[in-house]
Amino acid sequence: MAAQVVREAATMAGVSRPDIDAVVVAHPGDHTRQGYFHTFLCSSLGIAAKGNVIQVLGNGMTGGHAFDQAVQLIESGRAECVLAVGVHFESGIPTAQHLDYSIRLTGDVDFQSIFGPVPISWYAMDAHRYMFEYDVPRDTTAVVAVKNREHARFNPLAQFRDPLTLDAVLSARPIVEPLGLFEVPARSDGAVALIVSTEARAKLTGQPYARIRGRGFDHEGIHQIADVPTSALDYSALTRAAHRALTTAGTELADISTFQLYAPCTIVEILATEALGLFARGSGAAAAANDATSIGGRYPVNTCGGCLSRGHPPEVSPLYDVVEACSQILGRAERRQVEGARLAMCVSELGKYNAALVHILEAHS
Amino acid sequence: MIDVPLPTIRHNGPRPFPPRVSRFTRPFWTALEQGFLTAPKCQACGRLRFPPRPLCPACWSEDHVWIVLRPHGRLYSFTRIHVAPRALDGDLPYAIGIVDLDDGVRLLCRLVNQATFADIGREVETVVLQYDDGPLFAARLI
Repeated sequence: MAAQVVREAATMAGVSRPDIDAVVVAHPGDHTRQGYFHTFLCSSLGIAAKGNVIQVLGNGMTGGHAFDQAVQLIESGRAECVLAVGVHFESGIPTAQHLDYSIRLTGDVDFQSIFGPVPISWYAMDAHRYMFEYDVPRDTTAVVAVKNREHARFNPLAQFRDPLTLDAVLSARPIVEPLGLFEVPARSDGAVALIVSTEARAKLTGQPYARIRGRGFDHEGIHQIADVPTSALDYSALTRAAHRALTTAGTELADISTFQLYAPCTIVEILATEALGLFARGSGAAAAANDATSIGGRYPVNTCGGCLSRGHPPEVSPLYDVVEACSQILGRAERRQVEGARLAMCVSELGKYNAALVHILEAHS
Repeated sequence: MIDVPLPTIRHNGPRPFPPRVSRFTRPFWTALEQGFLTAPKCQACGRLRFPPRPLCPACWSEDHVWIVLRPHGRLYSFTRIHVAPRALDGDLPYAIGIVDLDDGVRLLCRLVNQATFADIGREVETVVLQYDDGPLFAARLI
């Protein structure tokens, strides 16, 4: 799967195998039998590199790191043409077996994991608290699942493209209450390869390309929840990372045409839009219900269908988001095209948005 | 000084996902066995920390004393989980919650009640779950 997408990406970018002088691989997770996957992949593809060959890992941000490392290799001058690739084969092991591993990732292994908090259970508790604190009914938050499915219907890469009704979302079996089957991510396989190069090399291809115009990062210094009573809903790392990205890009939130947000659950997308400042605290769900985050709305969010409908192979999802951002700003998104899109924001996170990594991409044609 | 042990709820069988016990955390589990939920308090800056860690995240001091936490607190949020790791399959469905104790500590633990949305923000107290191989801590609605 990985080798095929690499060949496809190189062809699209007008790059041949010897041009690639660095490789960054998103760690493929515990489902992949082959260890040291990055060097194995280079061997399979016959890529010899002078810049770097590295595998990166950073929770849900893993794919974001892969892209970010590729960008940094270009910025530092150590490479001119970097392959950033992620592959995720989640269906390789059963869900319960995967959860044996993943509860050790999101919880303190001796004082939290012992109670069985599966990764999405942390978001579920955010959902309950949000409904309590802002008096928001579940059907308002659940609308995000329907909205994202509408977007995915026109995405040929999406895992789920059948129409989805609000009734179906609300009546689905519970997974982590209050969230049901369609408000949490399905298990997904996937692979993405990106070519990141110097602008001089991109110009040589004679094709339109995307420029990285801004970048921001922030980690709030806690994992999942603070050890003192404080709001768990403010996702403040995203607020700060986005501010840094907008500042380095020399632009404003209002100028961003489309937002690709790492949001494994409905509530996460809502809280992320509020942390970005698109909507006031407590009003993000209602804004989504009023189509503000739909294609054609004021702030189109997750135009590819997001983690819920495009699919969520976690280590790969942020790379998919870069693909979608490029599709949008280069005018290749067909029936899900945001009219006149020029600037796109991509956001990945780790923990429970304890950290956020933000890139702003701009079309250049 | 808190000298009344927490209520204990007896469970047959071993803990499904037992914690490791290290030289640093042994006092915590020994105290819990005796009915007391404790946390390290930094001797340099006075901050309580949970989960227990050897260094204070606020000032990096190692100096600490173990403080017995008062049992009373409030339920910040909760969820009931319907898909579990293999080790916890026998517990399904099970509820976990974020509890804010009056002593200013936030922790995650099991809820022994069938909590509902209306219970968010309500008062809880900590309890000890005593298994065959050792204790766990939990909370229940008052």
